[in-house]
Amino acid sequence: MSDDADVTIAPRPDPAPAACGAGTTIGLSDAVVQARGVEREYGQGDALVRALVGVDLDLERGAYTAIMGPSGSGKSTLMHILAGLDRPTAGSVRIDGEEITRLKERALTRLRRDKIGFIFQTFNLLPTLNAAENITLPLTIAGRRIDREWVGQLIETVELGDRLKHKPAELSGGQQQRVAVARALASRPAVLFADEPTGNLDSRTGEEVLGLLRRSCDELGQTIVMVTHDAHAAGHADRIVFLKDGAVAHDCGRLDRDEIYEVVKSLEDVG
Amino acid sequence: MIRVAWRSLRSHKLRTVLTTVAILLGVAMISGTYVLTDQIDRGFREIFTDAYRGTDVTVTRKARFAGQLVGATEGLPQDMVEQVRAVDGVEQVYGYATGMGAVVVRGEVVQTGGAPTLFFSYSPNDLTPPDYVRGRPPEEPGEVAVIQKLATDERLQPGSPITVVTDDGAHEATVCGVFRFAAQSSLGGSILVHTTLSDAQRWFGMAGRISEIDVRAEAGVSAAGLAARIRAALPAYTEVKTGAQAAADQTRALSDAIGTFLRPVLLSFGGIAVFVGAFIIFNAFSMTVAQRRREFALLRALGASRSQVLWSITAEALVMGVLASTAGLFAGLGVAAAVNQVFRSGGFDIPHSGLVLQPRTIVIALVVGVVVTMLSAVAPALRATRVPPVAALQEGAELPRSRLTRLTPALAAVVAVLGALLIAGGMYGGGSTLVRLATTAAGALSVFVAVAIASRSFVGPLAAWLGWPLQKVSPVSGRLARDNSRRNPGRTALTAAALMIGLAVVVFVAVLAQGLKSSFIDSFDRTVRADYIIAGTNYMTIPSDTERRIESVPGVEAVVSLDAQQVEAKDGVTAVVWGIDPVAIGRVWSFDWISGDDAALAELGRRGAVIEEQTAASLGVKRGGIVRVTTVEGRRADLKVLGTYRDPMILNGITVGMAGYDALFPKSQTFMVVAKARPGVDVGATQRAIETAMASVPTAKVRSTDEYKESTVDLVNQLLTLVYGLLALSVVISLFGIVNTLVLAVYERTREIGLLRAIGMSRAQVRATVRYESVITSIIGALMGIVVGVVFAWVVTTRFAGQGIVFSIPGAQLAAFLLLAVVVGVVAAILPARRAARIDILAAIQYE
Ligand SMILES: Nc1ncnc2c1ncn2[C@@H]1O[C@H](COP(=O)(O)OP(=O)(O)O)[C@@H](O)[C@H]1O
Ligand SMILES: [Mg+2]
Repeated sequence: MSDDADVTIAPRPDPAPAACGAGTTIGLSDAVVQARGVEREYGQGDALVRALVGVDLDLERGAYTAIMGPSGSGKSTLMHILAGLDRPTAGSVRIDGEEITRLKERALTRLRRDKIGFIFQTFNLLPTLNAAENITLPLTIAGRRIDREWVGQLIETVELGDRLKHKPAELSGGQQQRVAVARALASRPAVLFADEPTGNLDSRTGEEVLGLLRRSCDELGQTIVMVTHDAHAAGHADRIVFLKDGAVAHDCGRLDRDEIYEVVKSLEDVG
Repeated sequence: MIRVAWRSLRSHKLRTVLTTVAILLGVAMISGTYVLTDQIDRGFREIFTDAYRGTDVTVTRKARFAGQLVGATEGLPQDMVEQVRAVDGVEQVYGYATGMGAVVVRGEVVQTGGAPTLFFSYSPNDLTPPDYVRGRPPEEPGEVAVIQKLATDERLQPGSPITVVTDDGAHEATVCGVFRFAAQSSLGGSILVHTTLSDAQRWFGMAGRISEIDVRAEAGVSAAGLAARIRAALPAYTEVKTGAQAAADQTRALSDAIGTFLRPVLLSFGGIAVFVGAFIIFNAFSMTVAQRRREFALLRALGASRSQVLWSITAEALVMGVLASTAGLFAGLGVAAAVNQVFRSGGFDIPHSGLVLQPRTIVIALVVGVVVTMLSAVAPALRATRVPPVAALQEGAELPRSRLTRLTPALAAVVAVLGALLIAGGMYGGGSTLVRLATTAAGALSVFVAVAIASRSFVGPLAAWLGWPLQKVSPVSGRLARDNSRRNPGRTALTAAALMIGLAVVVFVAVLAQGLKSSFIDSFDRTVRADYIIAGTNYMTIPSDTERRIESVPGVEAVVSLDAQQVEAKDGVTAVVWGIDPVAIGRVWSFDWISGDDAALAELGRRGAVIEEQTAASLGVKRGGIVRVTTVEGRRADLKVLGTYRDPMILNGITVGMAGYDALFPKSQTFMVVAKARPGVDVGATQRAIETAMASVPTAKVRSTDEYKESTVDLVNQLLTLVYGLLALSVVISLFGIVNTLVLAVYERTREIGLLRAIGMSRAQVRATVRYESVITSIIGALMGIVVGVVFAWVVTTRFAGQGIVFSIPGAQLAAFLLLAVVVGVVAAILPARRAARIDILAAIQYE
């Protein structure tokens, strides 16, 4: 951007590539997640922060969606609300048809347990459990019978067969995130949420994890929502939703890396 | 630096409070003990001083020695009063008879909680006349005046009927007045009764005799000078003292009793509490230092010296110690006030002229609190100084392992051996009782430390083993708890060790008490062949005509009165002499002979004796030897030892025939009467007949032998309950230790808990995880405590096997203690579990 100083800035063409719809697409026939008018405010008075200012979003079953946007645009906040970890100040969220914003604590816990899978940027695994135990942890918590065949398939998918007895501390960052993916898939959640799952990985191991998510979607039909600010990561998704200032700025289909950069850049410039 | 320390403590309020409480409670117990005993001491000093205020000289019969079974002496001839009156410089003389007994109102014995019921003959010559608040002093036989507290408690008025029970039997009397003594309405629960001189002499078997003569000097005559003149005029068996001396002697006797028994006993419980507190402080500081490792590294990187880091932690300990001791001191005052209240509502007044807070109490409380806190913080503080500055840049919270860690097993072994040697030295070595007790206690503390050090190496496997069933019951919470309790074995070990200490002492006491109970029952079953035991409560004497009353009950085949007096049997060694009927005893008693046999009984005569083995051992005599005994009044006899037997619980002393007993002692002093029913008669009906025969003497309880055994066991149990109560504090302190450790663990695991909650763990499951970890810790503590307590008890019972305490494990009680530990674990987990369940998931999983 430093060379911008030397050139005259020409008027830009339409910032969004052709694959992007104006605003967002709602009213999908088979939406696992339906968000309507979601708002989230923090603090009050002078310290009021409007993290989300009215988000409408439908997420199709079996789709792999990336949520992008500049830092502070509300990506994490949105994900937390969609996943039942946080409540919106206004608006509604449905998961699998069930309105979740007014659920009691207990029901929310059950929702997270049965319908949702999580992958965080770091610290996804319990240090005292080995890889296999971490993978089956959600099932153990739910008191569900462990489906050996399914778990075996997962372990195969994440290619960790020889590391199952290892504790997280004995695994590399990439291996840990792969275990986290398997863990998130174990309970066959309706939606898998991943918040910057490759944020702490180098590009090669990051690629392993991204490939794994892609395969989960393709082979297992897993619905995935991934928050990221990494264009390369977003490039794996079927759809990319761009947030800016707490609202959906663009809703695009598959984009390649250059297209993503372009949109990101446009968003930063407008701000 | 103090200000920094203060701020640091304030920013971790909960931890500070929990840690402070750990030391505060022990300090409170110690300062409370001093406040309470000082108060009792001063209360009685005031009473005795008041009682002798108008008395310049007192005359009593010289006692050779003092002892618990020493009854009233034979006293002085009544006409000695005239002899004293004739001495130059005497203005007024007051001679009176006194004795101990019991008061029965409306058919019920008035209970005094162990305090005596004292009778005094009243005379208008009394030098410190009591203050009559109602009625008048006794004038006619059968009239008594009572102390105000008794009148109030029992609703007695002048004119109320009352029964007086003395060794001479039951006597009907009428209340004629109510008085206060030395401006007190009661005297530490004791009951005071005024009678006429003739009644007192009759009731206490003192015809023509009196107990004490009090003298007032003429104006200008010195008390000491007068005492010397009176001493010169009286026979050598009298003891002449100034009033001030007599008051001081009585006060000293009581102070000694407090100083050599009550205070050390209470202080040792306080000491245990402080010791437990020290463990918790050590653990708390170790945990904080580990947590603040990067902070210390940063300080070091910024150029702080090691000593500055050291001082930053010790300053915190100092502030905490000062806080805890100050609060503990005030809590001690509160404890003393509460104890007063409890005793008062139980009808047993502790003399009180306000709480006594001596400078000595303040100094001890502060020194104990501050020194213990700082000493406990030194080792963790030293570890903090070894954090390298580069650690500021590293991840992870591991402290550099203490240099001693590698030596842990060796260190534990050394401390254990030291402890064992101290215990052996204390138990088998020489020296005064106090030194030996202190040595043994130091040994026990060393053993606790050794076990605590060693436990870090077996806590892991033990937790795994204990957690296994929990994991079966609850696959997630059980599993995580099991893992968590093994994550930091040193921490779990110390937390459990704090609980171990309190429980070990509880178990030790329980096993000893069980041994005492079973050896009592064992010895009783082996020797007693009777059906009934008639005895007083609290080892009070019963009227000496009891035997005669029961003899005439139809259905009774044999009755034997067991009378006892204390004698000096070797320089400074006292022994109990039991008087029995050598012929009848064989029908109700089966001696467990070691040497000699029943034939010895027939030969007892006036100069023969059979001796219990322990007494024989302590006097160094055998069958065929001679024991020279001296009574409290100075009468001597050489007794020939005709046999030795084993009976650690009842006839534990020198047993002589009635003829020998009567030759030595002027009064019988009956402690127990044993009786047997004729074969074939209804045992229950005969017991009721005996009860009827004893109806007028409610101080004597008629019990079947089984009931008697039960009541003795009950007595041991009551004592046990009291000791448990005193030990409860240590257990409570260790509970705070568990809370502290868990709160910290929960804090450290905030992210883990957040993750677990995010992936669907319920709050109940989170709570259960913390609770299980707590219970695993507390059970580990209980198991260690039970093992250590049982071993201690085994050592002690082995050492004192000769004194009849067997080693017997109360299985059900130990199981109950284990259950108690589970309860402690569950209670300790409440607060930390709640905190864990309330962790904000979003805040916990935030990474920035
Ligand atoms: N707990 C909170 N309290 C106050 N403001 C918050 C809180 N969490 C997020 N915010 C604010 O909300 C906005 C959106 O945050 P976030 O969703 O974390 O953005 P992103 O994940 O896109 O970087 C930011 O301005 C942030 O400062
Ligand atoms: Mg974010």
